[in-house]
Amino acid sequence: MKKAFVFMMCLLAVMAVNAQKKQTIRFATWDSEDTLAIQQGIVDKFNAANPDLQVVLEAYGDDFDTKLAAGFGAGDAPDVMYMWNYAHYKDGLEILDPWVAKEPPSFKADFYKALLDYNSINGKLLGMPIGYTTHVVYYNKDLFDKAGVSYPKGDWTWDDLLATAKKVANPSQKIYGFAFQQQPDPYDFEHYLWNVGVSYLGPDGTFNKGFKDPKVKALLTKMQNAIKDGYAISVDGSGSKEMKTGKLAMFINGSWSIPSLKDAKVNFGLCKLPSVEKGKKSVSVVSVSGIAMYNKSKNKDAAWRFIKFWVSPEANLMRLDHELPVLRSVVEKEKLNQDPIKAVFYDMLQQSEGWVSTSYKVKDWSTLSDTISQALENIFNPSVLASPEKVIDGLR
Amino acid sequence: MTFHAMHAGRKRRLAPYLFIMPWIVGFVSFTFGPLLFSAVMAFFEWPVIGSPRFIGFGNFLQMFTKDPQFWKSLGITLKFMLIFVPLNLIIALLLAILISRPVRGISVFRTIFYLPSVVSSVAIAIMWGWILHPEYGLLNYILSLVGISGPHWLSDPSWAIGAIVMASLWGLGTMMLIFYTAIKSIPKDIYEDAIIAGASPVRTFFSITLPLITPTLLFNLITSTIGAMQELSLVLLLTKGGPVKSTYFYGLYVYRNAFQFFKLGYAAANAWFMFIIILLLTLLIFKSSSIWVFYEHEVAGKQS
Amino acid sequence: MKNRKSAKITGGKLFVYIMLGIISLYFIIPFLWMLLTAFKTESEAFAFPPKLFPSEFRIRNFVDAWNSQPFFIYLRNSVIITFLTTLGQVLSSSAVAYGFARYNFKGKNILFLILLGTMMIPWDVIVIPLYMEFKMLKWINTLKPLIVPAFFGSAYYIFLLRQFLMGIPKDFEDAAYIDGANDWQTYSRIFLPMMKAPLILVCVLNIITVWNDYLGPLVFLNSRDKYTLPLGLAAFKGMHEMQVIPIMAITSLMIIPPIIVFAFAQKYIIEGVSGALKG
Repeated sequence: MKKAFVFMMCLLAVMAVNAQKKQTIRFATWDSEDTLAIQQGIVDKFNAANPDLQVVLEAYGDDFDTKLAAGFGAGDAPDVMYMWNYAHYKDGLEILDPWVAKEPPSFKADFYKALLDYNSINGKLLGMPIGYTTHVVYYNKDLFDKAGVSYPKGDWTWDDLLATAKKVANPSQKIYGFAFQQQPDPYDFEHYLWNVGVSYLGPDGTFNKGFKDPKVKALLTKMQNAIKDGYAISVDGSGSKEMKTGKLAMFINGSWSIPSLKDAKVNFGLCKLPSVEKGKKSVSVVSVSGIAMYNKSKNKDAAWRFIKFWVSPEANLMRLDHELPVLRSVVEKEKLNQDPIKAVFYDMLQQSEGWVSTSYKVKDWSTLSDTISQALENIFNPSVLASPEKVIDGLR
Repeated sequence: MTFHAMHAGRKRRLAPYLFIMPWIVGFVSFTFGPLLFSAVMAFFEWPVIGSPRFIGFGNFLQMFTKDPQFWKSLGITLKFMLIFVPLNLIIALLLAILISRPVRGISVFRTIFYLPSVVSSVAIAIMWGWILHPEYGLLNYILSLVGISGPHWLSDPSWAIGAIVMASLWGLGTMMLIFYTAIKSIPKDIYEDAIIAGASPVRTFFSITLPLITPTLLFNLITSTIGAMQELSLVLLLTKGGPVKSTYFYGLYVYRNAFQFFKLGYAAANAWFMFIIILLLTLLIFKSSSIWVFYEHEVAGKQS
Repeated sequence: MKNRKSAKITGGKLFVYIMLGIISLYFIIPFLWMLLTAFKTESEAFAFPPKLFPSEFRIRNFVDAWNSQPFFIYLRNSVIITFLTTLGQVLSSSAVAYGFARYNFKGKNILFLILLGTMMIPWDVIVIPLYMEFKMLKWINTLKPLIVPAFFGSAYYIFLLRQFLMGIPKDFEDAAYIDGANDWQTYSRIFLPMMKAPLILVCVLNIITVWNDYLGPLVFLNSRDKYTLPLGLAAFKGMHEMQVIPIMAITSLMIIPPIIVFAFAQKYIIEGVSGALKG
């Protein structure tokens, strides 16, 4: 009797000790407050379903890159992390192809191919897609109504957009038709080049037949003239703050502005980007968020289990309100390509297949991007407005 | 000859070292190691992800000869310091004097001037970012009411530094408080002689108050200079170094080299260079201080 | 004042009030805007022409912002760190400053120069080696890296206190020696009480600096149960958009303790040393 009792106690003790010996996985995200609660919910769900693991959510917010860099630099990066800047972090991330290969084929097939490409460098998959956005045109319905102009429809050109902007604008009342960014992000801006058929770099790896293409200069000049003519402005940020004042009619951005515009009760609508030539479909850059693994993590198996959960249809659904799902099955099930707001993004995604951002292709995107950023800033800064011809020709 | 000097026994000689021991231990534990490490890093090409590579003086060569941004950022930072530090000191001192006067309701003003300095830099950047908005911001709106068309504070390269100065000076409450404490620490009896002799407040200030707070003035001058040369967070949050890099301060330059371009070795070299510059500036200020800083009550007996 | 030539009393007072008034606008308008914006709706905050006052004072903004993250935990952590570091700094910085100010010893100038030097080191260059050191000590993601160094003095406060101490005549040491006091007693019984005002100042400065410190917690803390208030504040600032109303609301709440501290300190500094030094 006594022996059995002691044995039971030992067994319980061992079980207790093992139960406490959870494997901890560090998971870093950049999401800010409003979506963190949802993420924590997903993490909690995973922890509950997997008692031998403990995922700890680390919220880095806006200083995500700084914090991540400090972690990588000290050899102490989180096991799993949100990732968008593959060009930057590629040497620290685990290549996921072998892990994906161990899953049934339906796993990979459920993702949109364009998104898988955007999460890879040189053909190696470095992150599983979890969200994305393309860029779209935001327009203020109230201002359009006030000016008696009909809402823009998806298939239009830049000439159409600028003409519309002019009609809706009323500079004497500080009402402007369109907002350009005064410090455009080179990554995002590239899609304007794609719309005239080129990328930043030409076939020889320089700006010739790329950024320096005359069609690019023409488009930029057209945009700049809108600012000079006074019916468009150039702002710091995306333009969403200005739209909240009720005095800006249109701006272009990814899906990030939707929640705060809704909070500010702006009556807005979305439509596709304009193309440059009539008849051609417009193209947008895709900004992806993926989930990646630290290649020096000590918990890779556990990390993969968590990653699989995070990209599962179940988790995709939990994030439905603030991230566009990346799984075909979810999109079909929720009929997202018929939702008035979300459909625009999926349409743009389909239209943008085939174009890959230069940042994925060059060795040192940081320096290249800096050069391009300076050039763009010289063109779009409202106090500078340098001639696009001169600026671009001056590039090496 | 005081007792102090006559009785320099063994115990007395050990005492000062014991007093400064906490700092020495702290320095060795938390500062010296990382400092040395960063000095070593300056001679390497040290990517955040990847392995370091020894390149001798390569970073310094690059900095001085092949990186025009280095000189530009240095210039911008020096310009900022030369504008900001005098303004900072003078206004803080002026305000400290104003609030130390026994005027009715002065404590209200004391609070008003001090409060902005307790606000976190995130909020400050957002606040000023919107106030300085060229089209919809408060400042230009107020200016428009009196018929002035305000400049594009944050988009015009010639005005952006002014915007940074404006937003930075907003937090000078701390310096004002330090001056205020110094002024209030002067014992009242020192003023008695002057008051009896019928000296005007201006005269009193220049002959008594000012000389007695020169140690504090030295402190504020040095810390303000160091702060100006190292300015980073406000620039990072408010202008991000723009427009067209007109506010790309040296601190931001180092930060970007480390965290955007992932060149830790280069950033270390940058930082050490700035460290030496600040050191030289400080030495200069200290050398000059023997002329204008008074530590003892040398002026206590002076009649106006 | 500095520019005044005439000695007219009423003119002088008026001048003072006018100066104060104009300068106050510069300080108070942005501050007021920040405070009032916390009560507004998102669209009111960005209204143009600018609306200073909200149409209704939404207390709800504060409640929502506070509840959106575990701010009670952040508050607890902030209070612990602020309290302990202030204690540490007062104890250590005063002693070290005394050593530098009231003694002459071999190596004093060099050591003081090194001390000053530590103030000039740009943060982002020692942050990664420091991170590695704390990782070795297993202090990452604990509050220790933010608390322990404070017990060893900070160059800024040491410098500040040293300046104050150097203004006191040597007669005090002599008097203490005659009375038979040893070094420690001279320090603790005579000089420390004289340092009340600057020490209060150090308290105030430290409280406010540590309370608002963002970079330190950002780098050394990982999980949210260790976060401090500034990190919670920064979480409202996403990579693309930011939520202005919660930021203003939380900021307005965050400035309350520093204001209280300042109100107390003011009293002390005024009363502080006025009658302390006699003869």
